[in-house]
Amino acid sequence: MTPPPLTRKTLALVFLALWALVLGTTLIGFIDLGQYNIVVSVAFAAIQALLIALFFMQALYEGRIIRIIITGGIVWFLIMETLTLGDYMTRGWLPFPGK
Amino acid sequence: MQLQDQVHIGGSADMTIETIAEPVRKNYLNDKQGILSWLLTTDHKRIGLLYTFSITVLFFIGGFFALMMRLELLSPRNWLVSTETYNKLFTMHGIIMVWFFLIPSIPNTIGNFVIPLMIGAKDLAFPKLNLASWYVFMLGAGVTIYALFRGGVDTGWTFYTPFSTGYSTTYVIAAAMGIFISGFSTIMTSVNFIATIHRMRAPGLTWFRLPIFIWSMYANSVVLVLNTPVLAITLVMVAVERVFQVGIFDPALGGDPVLFQHMFWFYSHPAVYTMVLPGMAVISEIVPVFSRKPIFGYTAVAFSSVGIAVIGFLVWGHHMFVAGESVYSAMAFSLLSYFVAVPSAIKVFNWTATMYKGSVSWDTPMLYAIGFIGLFTIGGMTGLFLAALGLDVHVHDTYFVIAHFHYIMVGGTVMAFLGAFHYWWPKISGKLYPEGLGKLGAMIVFLGFNLTFFPQFVLGYLGMPRRYAAYPEEFQMLHIISTAGATILGVGYILPLCYLIWSWKYGKPAGPNPWRATGLEWQTSSPPPTHNFKKTPVVNVRAYDYEAMKEQLGLREREFENV
Amino acid sequence: MSEPVLVGNQLLELREQFENPEQQRETASIGMWVFLITEVMMFGGLFTAFTVYRLSNPAAFNEGSKEMTIVLGAINTALLILSSFTMALAVYSSSIGKTKLLAIFLIITMIIGLCFLGIKFTEYYLHYQDHKVPGFWFEYHGPSARQVQMFFVFYFILTGLHVIHMTIGIGILLVMLYRTLLGSFSATYHTAVDLAGIYWSFVDIIWIFLYAIFYIPGLHLK
Ligand SMILES: [Cu+2]
Repeated sequence: MTPPPLTRKTLALVFLALWALVLGTTLIGFIDLGQYNIVVSVAFAAIQALLIALFFMQALYEGRIIRIIITGGIVWFLIMETLTLGDYMTRGWLPFPGK
Repeated sequence: MQLQDQVHIGGSADMTIETIAEPVRKNYLNDKQGILSWLLTTDHKRIGLLYTFSITVLFFIGGFFALMMRLELLSPRNWLVSTETYNKLFTMHGIIMVWFFLIPSIPNTIGNFVIPLMIGAKDLAFPKLNLASWYVFMLGAGVTIYALFRGGVDTGWTFYTPFSTGYSTTYVIAAAMGIFISGFSTIMTSVNFIATIHRMRAPGLTWFRLPIFIWSMYANSVVLVLNTPVLAITLVMVAVERVFQVGIFDPALGGDPVLFQHMFWFYSHPAVYTMVLPGMAVISEIVPVFSRKPIFGYTAVAFSSVGIAVIGFLVWGHHMFVAGESVYSAMAFSLLSYFVAVPSAIKVFNWTATMYKGSVSWDTPMLYAIGFIGLFTIGGMTGLFLAALGLDVHVHDTYFVIAHFHYIMVGGTVMAFLGAFHYWWPKISGKLYPEGLGKLGAMIVFLGFNLTFFPQFVLGYLGMPRRYAAYPEEFQMLHIISTAGATILGVGYILPLCYLIWSWKYGKPAGPNPWRATGLEWQTSSPPPTHNFKKTPVVNVRAYDYEAMKEQLGLREREFENV
Repeated sequence: MSEPVLVGNQLLELREQFENPEQQRETASIGMWVFLITEVMMFGGLFTAFTVYRLSNPAAFNEGSKEMTIVLGAINTALLILSSFTMALAVYSSSIGKTKLLAIFLIITMIIGLCFLGIKFTEYYLHYQDHKVPGFWFEYHGPSARQVQMFFVFYFILTGLHVIHMTIGIGILLVMLYRTLLGSFSATYHTAVDLAGIYWSFVDIIWIFLYAIFYIPGLHLK
């Protein structure tokens, strides 16, 4: 896959997409989705972050090393989240108090 | 000053490392004079020496606290210091040794000095950042020492909440601030190393031609970049809770103290590996040289460092088996803790295999390396005891744990630190240290260490808990042996300090390659010139090619004798 | 420290430890991205703690989120994205050697950044008036006041840290503007501007996540 050349037009399109996503996430926020409101808003934020990283920060145009660095950072954050939450989510599975 | 001939180990068709042909008189030590030329230097070698100086001072401060503790423990009752002072002693010992000695010990001194030399670069990628990191480190150390003089901290080096946020009346924030600041210095150095190793290697020096030292230091820097920020933010949260009395970790205010332990150990378990990985890096250099053989299983050793870096991040929960962690989580962490022993074991087996049928010479660095391998193995194996869920409940927070991690950190890292300084001392100072005293020192350290810490395994197994100033009388004999050992250990540390400083001035000139080692750092003169190499070296051989060197030596024996 | 090197009619700043400008640029770029990873892990620690507490007190955290002024938050998000766009244009202008445009876009980006900070401090003032500053003046009438306060603790730490990053960012842009006006940048040498742009956009990304976790979840309760 060859990335689209980075022109002012590409940047402008990305910018408009980002504003649309902010508007979208805000409007959807007014609908009661129960516990899923924050899931949806974080998902929207992740898409925006991806767009900014790929185009505004030009990660799309960087070499392999930079891509590995970025992926590594995200994966390590997720390791911290999941292993920590793994503890909290599995508490109370056994019928003993405190476990 | 003696003319320093360059030894050509290159020359044959498969082995050409370009070297300098003419004598080099100017070196990084005499290039510029005056105190300012040191304080404003951007030369990685000089910054390495600045770090060496600061870290040595801090090591002896931390060691002083240890000595006070050992003296106090001579008697079952408080006789030397009060219980409160004892709490402060072990806290300050831990804080200074962990953050101001162990973590920066090998990377910021030896690593700083030899990484650019080993990869054939003129300097690190960001020399000014390197200097800044030393100043930031000094600031962090200064703030911590300030906390010390104001009366110290009594939380233990782990700052467990809610004691640290709500109940301790000591200088928690100042100490945490010192550690926070020193974290920036760690990050600066690590970013520097990563960028340097990626982009500053000499032409032809591919990843699989690098010395193992570089692989381990790279893995080490990656770990530090990923975990140090988490410690920083955790300490900020502790400080916020302590200042504003809002609930983050204090259960009385709605927080969860176990969350603090999660975040702290997400940092601190990998931090244990950042203390020992550089030690492994050093051993991987010393063992091949003094066995005259390439390291056994290069790829396996190289990737085991990466394996340690990755798996080391998945095991932190083994510190929380009795802290209220869920049973399922504990099981997962216990299993993963067994896995992390695999890459360490690979290293130990490969070092041993390297020595097997090699022509082993018993020089001082090799003595330290062999000591490292033995002590690290004991430390690692007892770590597996602690990773076992059932056994950990019994020995948790006892002297067994203390003995375990001192076998890794003192028996491992400090031995490697001393080994590294003996091994690279000729390169750093251009002088040889007295070999007889060196061997004596290594033996005293080994003996003193085992005498200090082996009884602590027994103590812990019998139930002596850590962090107590007084104890039942039945433990006294073992404590006395331990204190006696600590005294010997202290002598073992002061001795190298004395003769290394002595040899700086009065030692015999070392020549560029006294160990007849491979590796680019031995291709330049000792001490190296300011920009390391007269000409950027080109590499087209693998690391540790002692076979080729042996042939070369046969041809050039006389040249070597004149070195 | 640095010696000027002639590359294609352009005087470049090549520092002595590097062999060529390309190596220097790539090294700086690796350094910057690795630094950003440390930032990800630092904010990541706070996000992890936030997630743990949010999962145990979802209702209280939504209650806290309800106290946010969505109009100000939305405007600020839009502004910051706009500033990221103008910063990207600044980087683009520098890469084609239009230094005048570069200076203009840097100034615009800085002004938008300052507007963001202005609105942010207005919000802080409103929280103060609402007695929603944990540790100083916190009042909340409801069954889970302590948990709502926890929400605000994280809100203040995270947005406060973000404000610090914004301030540093504006400082960096000022330096870039100064160097632009000195004529340090050209089509062949503009690494510093690239790195400043990467940093600025990263700070923007952090805010986008803060908007998602602090402002949106309580909206449907209004
Ligand atoms: Cu551990």
